[in-house]
Amino acid sequence: MTRLALILFCALAAFAAPGAARAAEPVEVRIGVLAYRGAEDAERSWQSTLDHLARALPHYRFRMVSGTAAFLTAAVAAHRLDFLITNPGHYLELKVDYSAAAIATEQDLEGPTPSEAVGATVFVLDDHPEIQSIADLRNLRLAAVAPDAFGYRAALRELIERGIDPARDTRQVFVGFPVDEVMRAVRDGRADAGIIRSCALEKLVQEGAIGKDEFRVIGRRPSGSLNCQVSTRLYPGWPFVTVAQTPAPLARDVAQALFAMQPGQDEKAWAQPDAYGSVQDLYRTLKVGPYAPFTRLGIADFIVENRVWAGLVLLAALWWLTHVARVSYLVRKRTRELQAAHDAARLRGEQMEHTVRLSLMGEMASSLAHEINQPLAAILTYARGCERRIEGGADPQSLRDAVQRIAVQAERAGDIVRRMKDFVRKNPAPQVPIDPAPALHDALALFEPTARAADVIVESEIPDSLPAVRADRLQLEEVVINLLQNALEAVSAQEEKRIGLKVRVNGDRLDVSVSDNGPGLAPGAEEHLFDPFFTTKKNGLGLGLSLSRTIAEAHGGGLTVDPGDGATVFRFYIPLIEEPARV
Amino acid sequence: MSEQAPIIYIVDDDPAVRDAVGFLVSSVGYDYRACASGAELLAGLDNARPACIVLDVRLPGVSGLEIQRELQNRGAVAGVIFITGHGDVPKAVRAMRHGAIDFLEKPFDDQILLDRISDALEASRATLAQQGRREKLERRLGALTEREREVLALVIAGKTSKAIAAELDISSKTVENHRHNLMAKAGVSSVAQLISWATDESA
Repeated sequence: MTRLALILFCALAAFAAPGAARAAEPVEVRIGVLAYRGAEDAERSWQSTLDHLARALPHYRFRMVSGTAAFLTAAVAAHRLDFLITNPGHYLELKVDYSAAAIATEQDLEGPTPSEAVGATVFVLDDHPEIQSIADLRNLRLAAVAPDAFGYRAALRELIERGIDPARDTRQVFVGFPVDEVMRAVRDGRADAGIIRSCALEKLVQEGAIGKDEFRVIGRRPSGSLNCQVSTRLYPGWPFVTVAQTPAPLARDVAQALFAMQPGQDEKAWAQPDAYGSVQDLYRTLKVGPYAPFTRLGIADFIVENRVWAGLVLLAALWWLTHVARVSYLVRKRTRELQAAHDAARLRGEQMEHTVRLSLMGEMASSLAHEINQPLAAILTYARGCERRIEGGADPQSLRDAVQRIAVQAERAGDIVRRMKDFVRKNPAPQVPIDPAPALHDALALFEPTARAADVIVESEIPDSLPAVRADRLQLEEVVINLLQNALEAVSAQEEKRIGLKVRVNGDRLDVSVSDNGPGLAPGAEEHLFDPFFTTKKNGLGLGLSLSRTIAEAHGGGLTVDPGDGATVFRFYIPLIEEPARV
Repeated sequence: MSEQAPIIYIVDDDPAVRDAVGFLVSSVGYDYRACASGAELLAGLDNARPACIVLDVRLPGVSGLEIQRELQNRGAVAGVIFITGHGDVPKAVRAMRHGAIDFLEKPFDDQILLDRISDALEASRATLAQQGRREKLERRLGALTEREREVLALVIAGKTSKAIAAELDISSKTVENHRHNLMAKAGVSSVAQLISWATDESA
């Protein structure tokens, strides 16, 4: 559309200025002339007509504006032309869109009748004897000035009527004006055959532009009164056309002047207008002009008009499609990679968590073995005692109490084993609503033997039941044991070793604080305390606190340290929830 | 001196363990007393009865080894058997060096424990008997005057009255008087009997 706008702008610039400047002078009448062999040729052909009109109608000043069909159409659309002299095809298009009307049809005084004035000549180089008829054009390259050239269209009708689909069965080479270009394309072998307006060939021979026998016309048809070789049926000559805005008196005056024109040698004369029915037939057959399917006309014309832009647009579209495909491929690939990385990270996280739990369990294992040994020793001893009493003839009823105690101790050992097994379990449980109290009691129970072995007194305050939290029970235990273990190591050198474990509800969260009476944090340790692999212990992994904080944060809580005077306090908190705990 | 019935002290901070050991020893007829800590043991220890202490090495507060030392300081007659959750070799060595009867690892074999208890009670009885004899001699000798004890020592050494008089720088007559008094206090009629009275606790 850019190009059309540009044309309109040129037309406005060309016509606006003179009209305004010479208001007092004779009224200017603008006559558009289709220039199919360039502006010069057009002027040469029609100057005599304009001269005649100037003589016959002196109070008008006639001005010739030559251009392509597209240019003239734009000028008509911009109301900048009063008349046109154009080919029948163009006239038909204007007739539909701009109420164009033919007021006269050109006539060669010595030549054909007005209704059989124009056709097309299809020619090949003379040294191609195998091409004789229109039917032989199948699969060949055809040169013409433009897709909308009238001669070309006349020839297409002949091809179609012989069963050749021009678009599919031939290749078109459009060389542009002037018509000499068509001759050159055939001569240079860029096309196998050329299509030009009737009589153009003879004219070129006469002008000496081509040799007399250089080209041979194929599919010749009777040319009637037209003294040229033609390959198509004949159509009326060019019309002299008014458009919607042409003043009727002016049209009448001009028509009368045209009919009265007495042409000289090689000059055009004007006869009563033809009905142009044969041209309509032609256009209907080709499905072009007013008969083009609506969308195809728009798109096809637009693309042909703007082929450079269309090419660029096509390239852009191709690039865009490629880009989209590539981007979507990359996105899928990256998503997969990200998913894999995420999975790996999660797995590493789980493995690290498990490693830390195993390491904590390792530190507690010997104390826990001792802890399991206690009930086992009790069980064995009760059992042996029973045995001896039975041998001594004791009443079995008297042994009931001992047997019950055996069962209690077996359960006690089983509990310890269960807690240990749960704690080193590998698959993490999802976070579910739980009462945290049993988990905290279990954590303390796992830790107490170790504290006892190290002569550490654990002062714990854990309510028997607490409001629900959403938590992974195992991770909860892990954090608490980790904090207790750290506290135990902190107090190892103290005379009196004390650890506090306090659990309380603090507003909408659960606070678990672990305090110790150790010597406090090493200077500078506080800021690195939660870094992975930071450790002050000889055999520490340096993962405990960093992992504990990660776990706390994954539960929507946190882990802080308060290096107070006398007691270092680690505070682990997670939010309470409204829902009831799952049992 | 009539011998008292033995008693087993069981010291363990784990109520189940001390209850179970008590159950075992009572099934073979022993008296027992369960203690949760060393302090409880020391407070209730009857040093006049043959006794065995089944002592857990690991106790809160005062450890088993520290209790053993305290028992020695007090001259306790009870034999000590250590029980432990772990085979703790250095502790076992220390315990045995200080006269422990055995060092048993939990869970222990009931027969071995009872055998060791029996051994411990035997040792305890022997200690208690020796202690009784020593006390008896000390009581006998405690009834003598200082001069009489000096004369007795020289009589036991086989010195004649003359030699004793010369050594103690007293008259023979005075020596004779002391000998007479000694014979009377010991309730014996001969020098041989007097020597036996003064040296043989079993007499």
